[in-house]
Amino acid sequence: MRLLCIALAFLIGGFAVLAATFIQRPFVDEPAFLGWGAGGVLCVIGLTMLVTASRRRAKSPASLRLDVFLPFLVKRKKNALPASPMFMLRVARSVLPPSWFADQETGKPGKIRKVLKKLGPTVSSAPLRRAVQAVCLLLFLYLFFYVCWPYTAAPAPPGETSPGWRLLSVDQTTGEVELQRAYPLESSFATRSFVHVVDENADPARDGYTGVFRLHRGRPGMVVLTPQDPVSPEMIEAFLVGVGPWALHEREPGRWPSHYADDLSSKERVPAEVFLMIDPLVSLSTAVAARSWVWSLISAASILLVCVLIPRGFCGYLCPLGTLIDVFDWGIASRVKRFRIADNGWWVHVKYYLLLAVLVCAVFGVLASGYVAAIPVVTRGMLFLGEPIQSGVLREWRLVPPLNAGHWFSIVLFLGVFGLGFLQPRFWCKYVCPSGAVFSLANLFRVTERKVESSCIHCNKCVEICPFDAIKPDFTTRVTDCTLCQTCGGVCPTHAIKFVERWNKVELKVVGDPPTGESSLGRRGFLSLAAGSASAILGGSVMALATRQTTADIRDSGNRIPVRPPGSVPEREFLQMCIRCGECFKACPNNVLQPMGLRDGLNQLWTPQVVADWAGCEPSCNACGQVCPTGAIRALPLAEKKAARMGLAIVNQQTCLPFAGREACQLCVDECTAAGYHAIEFTQVHTVVDATGQPTPGSGFLAPVILADQCVGCGVCQTRCFGINVAEKGLLQTSAIVVEAGDGKEDRMMDGSYRQLRAEKARQRDNAKHPARERNDYFVPELADPQASDAERVTPENDTSESPF
Amino acid sequence: MKSPLFVRCSPGLLLLVAFTLLRPGAAFADVIEFLSGAKVEGKVVKIDKQAKTVEFEAQLGGRAVNRTYTYDKIHAVTMNNKRYVLNPRLDGASKGGAKLTSSTSTDSGMVRRSKAEIDAIIDQAGRTPPDWYDATELNYPDTLDLSFPEPAPGGWNNQKNVGQFVWDIINPNASRWREGVRLMHHLLKVNQDNPVVRTRVMRSLGDMYFRFFQDYARAAYWWRQAGVKAGVPDSVHLAECYWRLGNSQMAMELLNQRTIYLGMIKLWGDMGDTRKATDLAENYVRLGGSPHDAYLLAAEACRTAGQLEPAIRYYQKVLDTPLPEKQKERVERVRNRAVVNLEAIRLFELTDPKKVVNGSYRAESMGYEGPVEVEVRVQDGRIENVEVTRHKEKQYYSALNDIPRQIIEKQGVKGVDATSKATITAEAIVNAAAKALAKGAK
Repeated sequence: MRLLCIALAFLIGGFAVLAATFIQRPFVDEPAFLGWGAGGVLCVIGLTMLVTASRRRAKSPASLRLDVFLPFLVKRKKNALPASPMFMLRVARSVLPPSWFADQETGKPGKIRKVLKKLGPTVSSAPLRRAVQAVCLLLFLYLFFYVCWPYTAAPAPPGETSPGWRLLSVDQTTGEVELQRAYPLESSFATRSFVHVVDENADPARDGYTGVFRLHRGRPGMVVLTPQDPVSPEMIEAFLVGVGPWALHEREPGRWPSHYADDLSSKERVPAEVFLMIDPLVSLSTAVAARSWVWSLISAASILLVCVLIPRGFCGYLCPLGTLIDVFDWGIASRVKRFRIADNGWWVHVKYYLLLAVLVCAVFGVLASGYVAAIPVVTRGMLFLGEPIQSGVLREWRLVPPLNAGHWFSIVLFLGVFGLGFLQPRFWCKYVCPSGAVFSLANLFRVTERKVESSCIHCNKCVEICPFDAIKPDFTTRVTDCTLCQTCGGVCPTHAIKFVERWNKVELKVVGDPPTGESSLGRRGFLSLAAGSASAILGGSVMALATRQTTADIRDSGNRIPVRPPGSVPEREFLQMCIRCGECFKACPNNVLQPMGLRDGLNQLWTPQVVADWAGCEPSCNACGQVCPTGAIRALPLAEKKAARMGLAIVNQQTCLPFAGREACQLCVDECTAAGYHAIEFTQVHTVVDATGQPTPGSGFLAPVILADQCVGCGVCQTRCFGINVAEKGLLQTSAIVVEAGDGKEDRMMDGSYRQLRAEKARQRDNAKHPARERNDYFVPELADPQASDAERVTPENDTSESPF
Repeated sequence: MKSPLFVRCSPGLLLLVAFTLLRPGAAFADVIEFLSGAKVEGKVVKIDKQAKTVEFEAQLGGRAVNRTYTYDKIHAVTMNNKRYVLNPRLDGASKGGAKLTSSTSTDSGMVRRSKAEIDAIIDQAGRTPPDWYDATELNYPDTLDLSFPEPAPGGWNNQKNVGQFVWDIINPNASRWREGVRLMHHLLKVNQDNPVVRTRVMRSLGDMYFRFFQDYARAAYWWRQAGVKAGVPDSVHLAECYWRLGNSQMAMELLNQRTIYLGMIKLWGDMGDTRKATDLAENYVRLGGSPHDAYLLAAEACRTAGQLEPAIRYYQKVLDTPLPEKQKERVERVRNRAVVNLEAIRLFELTDPKKVVNGSYRAESMGYEGPVEVEVRVQDGRIENVEVTRHKEKQYYSALNDIPRQIIEKQGVKGVDATSKATITAEAIVNAAAKALAKGAK
């Protein structure tokens, strides 16, 4: 009864938190995340307690029972009472054929058990865990290879246009417009109910767009339009002062394309970077390194909270790297015995020292966790191994960028992680993975754990099957290693293993039988702890200093400063926040973003840079910021992204073909105009002047001039110049127009709006420009115009003495 | 009906006016009829004769707004039961206001106006700034020599010499054309007391309004202010303005001068007098002018008029005349145009859109700087869309929009009129469109 009350209290508390989160509707997602997480955990605890209370094992009461393994099949003893199966099992039994289930009387396995047995002992003992692992791995692969695959996007077709309509009337109250034309409306508009109306003769500066109208067809050659939105005076006025003709557009003309951004957001029902978000080391080390709040800390906190309930459950159930290692161990490593090591050695605590080193680096402002944290490692592995293959097969092999030393380094590291499996199964997860170490430490606050009852017969089956080496020789649990995978529970012939609350003491086995030979902390243990910690701190510091040193060298040596993705935070913070996971490369259409290599120093390794010779940044895309797990690239809406300057295009006047007087070329201007930035204009060069000083028409060339206040550094100009003039025609050694980063050439901000920034700068420029020049200077000299001498007399205004005009 | 205002209104308009006056209830509100054809009821608050604006209060979309409209947007105002016509309403197919652009070349589609009307339109347009004027920035380098000496002293320096600034920076960028006009108006004010520079500026203004915006009224105004008359090359363009505004008589008077300019051949052709154009070309050659240029223009005049036989003959003449020693490069370009156009004529027989299968067709033709690619979309025997998809043209971009629009309006490439001073680009577009249509012919 008491248990029931506590369970209900937990449930109510959880629901209260959830409801509060829901009602509050916080401004950003962040607090919501925490609310959902905490409320969810409370609810789950409450529910589990309720379930536990209702299926209490007669001899072994517990307040939280997390057993989800498939218990070893034992024949029921003659005089034992029939076990009362749990609710779900009862339902399943009533629906599914009885042959699928084991026969309690004879102890013969049913079909389900037979199938699971074929799949292997770990599947048959803990099928739910394997299922969750499979789902998580598939989800990871789906997010990475489908959601982050940008090429499912296609630009919206331009849409049909019906030109040449003349205004018949416009109703000044309702905004209803009647248009007519000599010939009827195109058949392609037959099914349209809304059209966009544009003044074809409008100023180029104003686009002549009036708005969306509901289309009513009148007699042939006539249409009646009623405004879709509430009518505004401006809309009506557009028809009054505009002279037409008017065109009906199927789609809004001149709209900034957004197909890549739309495609990603439509596919991204689960955040593409969800696994990176829930790797606690990613956000923890980023927050320490950047000394700032990282929004994904919320999800890391949530997962740690969950893992207090299911200790190290992340490693046992969720981690896609762990699952891949399981697959590798099963498929390859388990068949190669020669590298196996039986004993535990100095390496068993490497993960803690690695974690310590990573955090020491972070304290020095160097983010090293990306090299070793579980999810960045697997993401980068997928990127450098899987992405080229995906691109090559699904698109074209020539579209795969060449690999550099940095790629190979990452690939070797990734394969090395798997190679550790030859030593012992899950060697990486058990001893090396610093993300796992975070969970191991969190296990100190665990609520539940594996317990062994006194019915244990010392058969050693659990020790043999445990993939994490988490069972001591006396069959009790190494609590910081156990991932609650529950495989041991399924193989135990006496059902002695249970997963219950930490303080449960019911019928426990005697500890230290047989003796483990392990002391809590001996002299050697202490020495190794001290030595490990010291070397971790030392190693971390040296690594931090080394990377900072190389970075300083790069800045000073006058090397080209890398052009970062649009919306990157300031460079110092960028290097502290970029986890080098590679997610942005995957989501970037046409591989504009490519990883920096080893040559650029350790601190730059695998950070994204714009390689504009390869491709230019898509105007309709904002994917890199959307998938960045740490906020090194800000998640900008498209409207902001297109105003965020990542660099500035610089024309090399020595080599640029028109400037050099070699030939006419306007590739960069065409590209920039097509991209919609209009940041390059022409200047006439090499004009031939005749004897009188007059320019000869048709002589000389038009050369590109960058408008610095319009250019965002997307690099489409450079791509084109390189593609045609360098690669295709061989006219140049390097592109004559190059995007450069650096002070004043890019906008790097931690927060704030790029649009506002640019508007503010434009205002400052306007104020600074020619303050003394007068505005109203339309001047008509009063000259005797011989040809218009009689014009004055016949103009209406002079003619009518009584006209007020 | 006594008001002399109505004297020049067409009979149809008079009827309309009579109808408006007779309608009961019309007296309760003032009415503005816009040149767009829209009519709005409200109240005239103020009339500013100086600024030529009307302040008007009306309920628009259920909201009371107070707006000021310039005369050039307004067709007529009715107040106190009296109707005042401010600007003649053109027939539905042409555009109104000061920008009396007409993209049609045949007489049937053009408005005719009396000399007095033309003079009034020109005068009114010239005295008022274009509607984008105030919104346009006065933008020029501080180093620019505003005294606009000509010829410019020193070498080529587009940051110092106005003419070279316009040539290098303004001309190539359509986005700067308005700034260019604004700069010229500024120079006019700065140099108002220097008659030589003042005239130079006003000629540039005429040139800019003509070339950039096909604003024939303002172009004519400034050319007239600059004293452009027979004997000056710009007089040909002034004549074109008169004709475009609706008075061929004035144009012809100006064209009947002793000097022959090449531009005249084209203009006569555009005005539909092919005979005069070819005669002029022959005369031009007889007097020692470049036969390549003259015959090419004559050929084009014939071609515009649809007289293909003589067009082919003149094109052939261009090809048959040997290249001169001087200006070889330039003349070679002229020859190339003849070759291209001759080929296009052969395609012309195929350009009836009614005989074209539904679909989009692309073709290219050589323009000033390289191939100009045009895409033509035909649906049910109608040219739905013409678009320049690729080009390397340098200057005179107006043709890129103007010509495709004309092709759609005329439903064909025959008789499409080259935008003056952009003939090469325009031709390339016409030719490419013809080729594209030929691709789709049944």
